Amino acid sequence: MIELSHVTKRFGDEMAVDDVSFKVAKGEFCALVGTSGCGKSTTLRMINRLLEHSEGEILLDGQPIRDFDAVQLRRRIGYVIQSTGLFPHWTVARNIGLVPRLLKWPSTKVHSRVEQLMHLLGLPVGEFAHKFPHQLSGGQAQRVGVARALAADPDILLMDEPFGALDPITREKLQEELRALQSRLHKTIVFVTHDIDEALQLANHLVVMRAGRVVQQGTPLELLHHPADKFVESMLGGVERGLKQAGLTRVADHMLPLSPTLPAQSRVPSSMSLRQALSVMLRDHTERLTVVDPHDMPVGELSMRKLIREPKADQGHDREH
Amino acid sequence: MSLKDAMPVEKGRLSWFSPNWVLLLLSTIALGAFFGLETASVAPNRIVSGTGYLVFSALGWQGALLGMVLILALIGFSCIAECQEYRDAYKAMLVIVMALLALMPFALMVATSRLVDSDLPQARLGIGAGFWVTLFVLLLALVELRTRLALARIWSWSLLLPIGLLWWLCLSLWLEPLALMREYHSRSEQFSEAFRQHLELVGTAVGVSLMLGMGLALLMRRYPRSQKAAFAILNFLQTIPSLALFGLLLAPLAWLAANLPLAASLGISGIGWAPALVALVAYSLLPMVRNTFIALEEVSPAVIDAAYGMGMDTRQVFLQVRLPLALPVMLEGVRITTVQAIGLTTVAALIGAGGFGTFVFQGLGQAAMDMVLLGALPILLMASVADALLGAVSDFLRPGGAK
Ligand SMILES: Nc1ncnc2c1ncn2[C@@H]1O[C@H](COP(=O)(O)OP(=O)(O)OP(=O)(O)O)[C@@H](O)[C@H]1O
Ligand SMILES: [Mg+2]
Repeated sequence: MIELSHVTKRFGDEMAVDDVSFKVAKGEFCALVGTSGCGKSTTLRMINRLLEHSEGEILLDGQPIRDFDAVQLRRRIGYVIQSTGLFPHWTVARNIGLVPRLLKWPSTKVHSRVEQLMHLLGLPVGEFAHKFPHQLSGGQAQRVGVARALAADPDILLMDEPFGALDPITREKLQEELRALQSRLHKTIVFVTHDIDEALQLANHLVVMRAGRVVQQGTPLELLHHPADKFVESMLGGVERGLKQAGLTRVADHMLPLSPTLPAQSRVPSSMSLRQALSVMLRDHTERLTVVDPHDMPVGELSMRKLIREPKADQGHDREH
Repeated sequence: MSLKDAMPVEKGRLSWFSPNWVLLLLSTIALGAFFGLETASVAPNRIVSGTGYLVFSALGWQGALLGMVLILALIGFSCIAECQEYRDAYKAMLVIVMALLALMPFALMVATSRLVDSDLPQARLGIGAGFWVTLFVLLLALVELRTRLALARIWSWSLLLPIGLLWWLCLSLWLEPLALMREYHSRSEQFSEAFRQHLELVGTAVGVSLMLGMGLALLMRRYPRSQKAAFAILNFLQTIPSLALFGLLLAPLAWLAANLPLAASLGISGIGWAPALVALVAYSLLPMVRNTFIALEEVSPAVIDAAYGMGMDTRQVFLQVRLPLALPVMLEGVRITTVQAIGLTTVAALIGAGGFGTFVFQGLGQAAMDMVLLGALPILLMASVADALLGAVSDFLRPGGAK
């Protein structure tokens, strides 16, 4: 779907992006992570040609993006930025309907599409359609930003730290909603963040950048298991890598059959992440947990002693999206 | 604690005396001017200087009493204005100020009937310093009240409009013997001509500088290197005294008129409207360019980034995003320029460009203060109306509609 090969971007003498290559397959969620100023936004903005790349090639469905008209190309690609960039002089409804109107959809179709999107993003039409951006909270504004990017139903979504300016609780909520949205819409997403947890939670392909270059790329678990160097390792949380790995697997993947002995007092649902289950063990001072199904029926158990003895390679269950 | 209890008088006094000092000062000045300065003067004709009358002879004891009661009430309310228990003190004061403003033309009518001998057809009533000061102070009080009560612009104008109408009605129907009106009646044609000239000059100057200013601002955005030089020149133009600028323009324009028949046939000459217009435009350019430029530059880069990112082309970004977001600030420039040009056009009368300045300078030459007023008052009025109207428009255009 999107392919960058040996892409370079220079601002004057400065190399902002240096020989970057990666591929994002259709329906894949790719996260660009790295420290501030490493060229993430620049890479992203080259994909919708807000910046022109200096060297290399960027392909969209196998075609170089320079073959497309830049304006037409951008209308096919959703774009969400941290500061929302909502037009302050337009209502929420008008903001969301922008790209469909640019594409000259009939106004009834624009109207129904706007309502559909507001519904999808949990913005009651009656309450929000006629509000102006300055009347919204940060979270609501960011929802409108996402709705606006999705308006013309683009296959590709570029997101530049969309949740960076939100408080942790709102951020987590929007991450959860984005994940749910993605499991229904199957967009091809390139997502810039410097929050490694956000990247691990959402993405199925990680690209770690440093000073304009790609240091390592792969699935979250590949990177967690085999960080290429100290930089990637510290990027991934250093000694906390173990917990971050555990955060990516479900209790169900490590559960043992119920043993005939007395079942443990503490219960966890099988859909919980292993990381949360470990936290429950620490909280309840126990090394055994009873795993229950959604109806609270015991289906298995989790044992710290057994977990530690699991062979290393076995942990590689990539999470499905 | 015990000390306070021992002094109940002190405690009681402090609890109600929490004045709004501005209003207290203004209403005290009003009281002083009302009684201490001449309310009106009467002259048998235009040449003789008039004799002044204090409030008792001008309005009679009933009039003086009514005025005194109202102004004393103002003083009283301004003493308790900031007190928690009397929340409506400001509203009461607004009502009193409005009442006073509405009563003032009637006071002039009373003074006319008491002082002007109806047998003398040339006899005229001059408005005295006491009257002017009171009027001025009341208007200032109104400004303060407006901010205290947080009145919307629309509101304060809808309050002032009926009072303005009342004044106009009284002046045109019953205040014939007022010196101001006598001056007006003897040159009503000149007056409308001056009004037309004034309006034309201001309108043309603002229109031309708006066009030029927009053009310049756009050029400066396109060629960033020119910005410094352009602003330096505009700033320099602004610092030349207006009369000097008119003088400087005299020579080249006279030369133009003498050497280009076309220029002469268009009415361009060393004096008259041409140099006035050029000078007005030169002065208007800086505020216009500065506001337009800043307005266009200040639009949030994130919004512009999003606009391009969504797939707007350059024209759409300018017309649908940058321009509408810049408009309120640009209009602020138009407002400043217009008010400034209305004032400056007064000076243009000195080089024969006409306008209300003609009355001002003729009146000054003849030491006829009422004639000066006949020129100055409309200028003041035009400036405040332009200010209010353009301010309201710019408020209305702010993102999210009028607030
Ligand atoms: N328009 C530009 N002109 C010149 N240099 C630029 C421009 N845009 C970015 N750069 C430079 O390119 C480098 C990469 O910037 P970029 O915005 O891509 O970083 P980033 O990874 O998105 O950082 P952050 O996490 O802080 O957003 C920086 O050194 C920056 O100074
Ligand atoms: Mg960035």
